[in-house]
Amino acid sequence: MTAPAESGGLERRFLLGGGAMLPLLAGTATAQPTPATPAHEGRSMEMTLQVNGQAHRLALDSRTTLLDALREHMGLTGSKKGCDQGQCGACTVLLDGRPVLACLTLAAGVGTRPVITIEGLHGRDGGLHPMQQAFLDQDAFQCGYCTPGQIISAVACVRQGHAGSAEEIREFMSGNLCRCAAYPQIVAAVQQAAPLVEQG
Amino acid sequence: MPDGFGTDHQRIDGRAKVTGGARYASDVVVGNVAHAWLVTSAIARGRITGFEDAEARAVPGVLEVFTHRNMQGAVAETEFFAKGGYVGSTIRPLESDQVWHAGQIVALVVADTLEAAREAAQRLRVRYAEEAPAAGFDAAGVEVVAASDAGFEDAGVGDADSAFAAAAVKVEASYSTPTQHHNPIELFTTTASWAGGKLTLHEGSQFVHGLKHGIAAQLRIDPADVHVVSPFIGGAFGARGSITQRTALVAEAARRLGRPVKLVPTRAQGFTIATYRAETRQQVKLAASRDGRLQALVHEGWEVTSRPDAYKVGGTATTSRIYACPNVRTKVHMVHADRNTPGFMRSPPELPYMFALESAMDELAYALDMDPVQLRRINDTQREPIKGLPYSSRNLVGCLDAGARAFGWERRSPAPRSMRDGEWQVGWGVATSIYPAHIGTATARVTLLPDGRARVQTAAHDVGTGAYTAIGLAAAEGLGLALERIVVELGDSDLPPAPVAGGSNTTASVCNVVIKACEEIRARRAQGQQGAIEVYAENVPEGLPPDSIGKLYQGRNALGGGLEGGKQAMAAFGAIFLEVRVHDRTREVRVPRVLGAFAAGRIVSPRQARSQLTGGLIWGIGAALHEQTEIDPRSARYMNDNMAEYLVPVNADIRQVEVLLLDEQDTQANPLGIKGIGELGNVGTNAALANAVFHATGTRPRDLPVRIEHLMA
Repeated sequence: MTAPAESGGLERRFLLGGGAMLPLLAGTATAQPTPATPAHEGRSMEMTLQVNGQAHRLALDSRTTLLDALREHMGLTGSKKGCDQGQCGACTVLLDGRPVLACLTLAAGVGTRPVITIEGLHGRDGGLHPMQQAFLDQDAFQCGYCTPGQIISAVACVRQGHAGSAEEIREFMSGNLCRCAAYPQIVAAVQQAAPLVEQG
Repeated sequence: MPDGFGTDHQRIDGRAKVTGGARYASDVVVGNVAHAWLVTSAIARGRITGFEDAEARAVPGVLEVFTHRNMQGAVAETEFFAKGGYVGSTIRPLESDQVWHAGQIVALVVADTLEAAREAAQRLRVRYAEEAPAAGFDAAGVEVVAASDAGFEDAGVGDADSAFAAAAVKVEASYSTPTQHHNPIELFTTTASWAGGKLTLHEGSQFVHGLKHGIAAQLRIDPADVHVVSPFIGGAFGARGSITQRTALVAEAARRLGRPVKLVPTRAQGFTIATYRAETRQQVKLAASRDGRLQALVHEGWEVTSRPDAYKVGGTATTSRIYACPNVRTKVHMVHADRNTPGFMRSPPELPYMFALESAMDELAYALDMDPVQLRRINDTQREPIKGLPYSSRNLVGCLDAGARAFGWERRSPAPRSMRDGEWQVGWGVATSIYPAHIGTATARVTLLPDGRARVQTAAHDVGTGAYTAIGLAAAEGLGLALERIVVELGDSDLPPAPVAGGSNTTASVCNVVIKACEEIRARRAQGQQGAIEVYAENVPEGLPPDSIGKLYQGRNALGGGLEGGKQAMAAFGAIFLEVRVHDRTREVRVPRVLGAFAAGRIVSPRQARSQLTGGLIWGIGAALHEQTEIDPRSARYMNDNMAEYLVPVNADIRQVEVLLLDEQDTQANPLGIKGIGELGNVGTNAALANAVFHATGTRPRDLPVRIEHLMA
């Protein structure tokens, strides 16, 4: 995976496979039997998420992922759910400038770190970001469902200095599956936009 | 500057897709929505004996737990699509205690929040009385039925067995292709809401009018009270053509709860609640005279399907009609097992069956000591051999020649294991591609506004194919406008009906009817009509019955063209050239380049056509090298039902992909000479890869996918 979840926050990967709610401690990854105690109250947590430069005050179930928070509670549906397991990359967003899988990131663990989604990406003039324009020019998508995640990863690919060669781009972008298989055009799009995207 | 057919243009829906503005089904915000979560069967055969649902119901926010105990009778029985119905599987979950396959829906939990629904679903305990399932071909208890008993026509001509026995040069081999799942990245989501007795469905669909009528039949309501909204589809590949049974359950849950319900199934559930590409076993016999002319072709296939449904892959209908061969015998068998019903997946008959035929052709070329390109050229024909129908146009030889030239085929050294680059064995393979050219009955409404803008409305579907752009270009051509002045509306059952996005028919079907409407608009303008001009048009292609319009309005397709019916055979052709490298020690297979040369009639929107064919070629690589759904033979469960273990090509797997489009004018296939291309690129590519592996290594892969372990000495 080229877009790993941030390790600083609470990661949902520890919950996958464990069934119901287990203590939210990193390291309790071993799947334990579902606790016999019935579900309890008080799951709702208040939080403020900084998304695309705006503060969103939310009261969410503590188990809510960043992806579901964006999609179901903020109306930001550009980030897509393709597997909900960190395998496809369609939910990739920038957290603190780094690409993360929103489906493996718990909203409650995001804190004050800024989140940028596809809706928050734009060019200097407020129009299309150079990477969005490049995807459009190169026909670097077909159905378009993986595209927001591809574009976010592509921006990170350039910013993190991995767009030096087609080989390097292919490797970095391999965490984002495209079932329509627009891969050659995606590489071409990253190459087109790379000189226009700031590194660092 | 007016645009039109052949204009190189970015996708007109592209801006919405790169900005996150495109609303796929589960993106649509519906007020007060409740969330559903599926519980699926842990066994593949047997009965449900009980539920322990107290814990599930105790989860705060849970609204209802639907099982067969409270849903029995809610969803009406409807016919299998192949029998003229709408559903892709007649297995009705939540209808009884019977379990037909692993992963069958056994409960639908609805709650206020996604998290509560998920937790409750995990707390629901289901008890089963399990019987030993038959997982597939080699299992005890499968039922083998001749496809001809279920209405399939086994193509044949002459006396293939005698000709085979008498021939000078012959090959005979068995091949197999695996179970594959479409795995579109968009999950199989459904959002259902009711208002005043009318149902609105947000669901990615390849056939909105079919879904509308099918769901109405299932829920016993008037089709006029169903509205299906599906303007964007996050990949389909055949998986969203026929109705899956989950939709009616979600709609029924919403009706009972008096509240919209949204279902986003998991990736794993998608493997069992929708269809898949059935695994096949095939046997091919080819015989030729010493000059390479085919004398006999025998092609038999066995295909897995579910217990109740007779889904047929039936690729022999195509493989029997490609080459000049006086003696042909084919036979298809269905093997009924305890599995979910398979269905259409991109190039459904051709992908598995052309793998066997085109592999056998390569084997024959070696047996003849003949170049495999030359063998295909020698056996080219302008008439299909079964009924002697002339091809409306066919330029396979042009594809082979142009492809060979561009690929540098003349530099190939024919002997296996004779090409090398350092530690890598190098192999070059070739195969023929074919896809039948279909055209269906379609309708459209085109409106020209006084300010010179236009709108096209038709319930066709853009599943990523570029249909929005191609249809827009047709209107631009027909009205003499720039594409920027045209709005295209698709994917909504309130629009005039168009056929299923299947069989690669959309561009031909819809462009022909749009051009018809545009001609009417021009005629009215020439007569002096002022103001906005709105024209509704219908097109019944030659050979299809006039009542096919009425049927289309009932959500039933009428597709013509292709290889079997009518006075002509219609198909697009291609030649695939592919290079593999196989590492000396690790036996890793890499594909540094693939080239497809295609003759596919008029190319309406070239940029999107190239993307379609590029994606198709990569699908072919995936079909040959990566994709296989693994099935546990004891439990009949899919073992790799996720995107990490069900391998599909990723960016780093793909290097150079080249598409050559040959000029081809077909004045016979349909007035505009359009053939479909969406399913052409992946046909034959798997065989080209296997043939290249043989050339590289001397080992003949006859079972897909080709894996490292197959190539160990």
